[in-house]
Amino acid sequence: MSAPVYFAGVTVLTLAGITVAMLLRPAFASSVLRFTGLERGPVAAPGSFYSVRVQPLFDARCAGCHGDKMQKAQLGLESFAATMRGGKHGPAIIPGNVRDSKLYARITLPVSDNRAMPPSGKTPLTKNEVEVIQLWITAHASGSLPVSAIKNAPRLVRPVEIREVNYGLVQRQRAPLAATVQQLQRRFPGVIDYEARDSADLEINAFLAGRSFRDAELQALMPLRTRIVRADFSGTAITDASASMLGGMERLRILRLKDTKTGAGSLRAIASLKTLRSVTVAGAAPETAPLRQRGVAVYGDHDGE
Amino acid sequence: MATTMANDPSTHVRVWDIPIRLFHWSIVVLLLVSWVSADQGFMKVHLWSGLTLLALLLFRIGWGLFGSTTARFSNFLHPPARVIGYLKGMRGGEKHLYAGHNPAGGLMVIFLIAVLLAQVLTGLFSNDSLGFHAPFALWVTEEASNRATNLHGTIFNFILLLIWCHVVAVGFYLFVKGENLVWPMFHGRKHHSQVPAGVNIRFARLSVAFVLLALAAGIAVWVVFQGDYFS
Repeated sequence: MSAPVYFAGVTVLTLAGITVAMLLRPAFASSVLRFTGLERGPVAAPGSFYSVRVQPLFDARCAGCHGDKMQKAQLGLESFAATMRGGKHGPAIIPGNVRDSKLYARITLPVSDNRAMPPSGKTPLTKNEVEVIQLWITAHASGSLPVSAIKNAPRLVRPVEIREVNYGLVQRQRAPLAATVQQLQRRFPGVIDYEARDSADLEINAFLAGRSFRDAELQALMPLRTRIVRADFSGTAITDASASMLGGMERLRILRLKDTKTGAGSLRAIASLKTLRSVTVAGAAPETAPLRQRGVAVYGDHDGE
Repeated sequence: MATTMANDPSTHVRVWDIPIRLFHWSIVVLLLVSWVSADQGFMKVHLWSGLTLLALLLFRIGWGLFGSTTARFSNFLHPPARVIGYLKGMRGGEKHLYAGHNPAGGLMVIFLIAVLLAQVLTGLFSNDSLGFHAPFALWVTEEASNRATNLHGTIFNFILLLIWCHVVAVGFYLFVKGENLVWPMFHGRKHHSQVPAGVNIRFARLSVAFVLLALAAGIAVWVVFQGDYFS
């Protein structure tokens, strides 16, 4: 046999093999058609029940494993075409037939079942989410039915997720300054506190100490200055002598200087703080102009807060 | 008939040892088992076929260093220029004889071993999202395990492509060049006319193969005990 005849035979057999595989495996057929740019799948209308209610649900709850980047069991739920195509075990949706739709069967299995979707460890779909999918399949899994056509569809309510605090991480972040913070908390009761239970950042409530809080006291907080994000010195006796200390609080977001002896020097010092969002000062000093221009909210005696 | 004739030392030369032949056909069977088991969701079967593949690949690397002449990497691993020269010569009708793998075949063997090893290694970190975790899947984050699973699937498609190339090449030798490479992989012998004259093949002792296989199997057993399959 000559080489051209052999390779012609190989080409025919290969194409025949690919065709058979495409007939047996819709997901493979889709991959091939997509690769060759020949895929012409159904598209859902923009205002359809699928586009408005079902696809966002798939995007939020299923796309991690059945999306553009990953298609476990060769099932993609990133588009109407992909959803209707199904995966390696065949169609996931049987229009009008909830009972035989594999997707519906999987999302309604008890969590203890290995085949339940989303899999163990992930938050199961809520009753309302399951009902939305059920209503859509019952309505012949349409890609064109308007969202208003299914009137009894429940509103999708996302449960509020309370982020778990990684206390180990917080403890590690607090560790370098923990001893200093404790020591200064003992010296200035109530004045120094962490911004939140899951944060290593600090807030200074020096207004509690009143006039007894002076430049020397502020100077004592020097080791903490890069961790301070909120500082209220209202009614204290600090002056422009503390300007460089204020300018060193490089992560400061909120600063209160009302009823203090600070002035232009302090305002110039804080003008370069990139994270600053809000400042309260006594009077409307012209030195606040650069802060205002940067979008920092500047409050004076008469502005209120 | 072919086997009987192949046993005749006056017409045939032994080129492949038993470990190489067993390795080759075991890989064929295990790839098929791995494919079907993953496809049908028999993940325990998939696990064991994958671990057996791991052991065999490790054994093959050892056998490539300490095995018989035709099994050794040094025997069939050639510089790229020589492989290209071989392919160009073949196109021009030149006929070079090799007792073991020819330069192109040798490159294919190395490539297949590397890709199969990559496949097995990604498999060790994979999961099926249905409660099955490969032995090392819980050593890494879920995201990393999912990425490994994805890669495992992609590499498999690449393996299918390599198998296709391998089969087409073997067919080319059989139908176009008239050289049957399949039978020798069963009975281990090639006809005198397909082997260089005066070729000297040294066959390593089977005891060496057993030691290497035991070591490789030991590693595979260690791997399986990293997963929670026996509690």
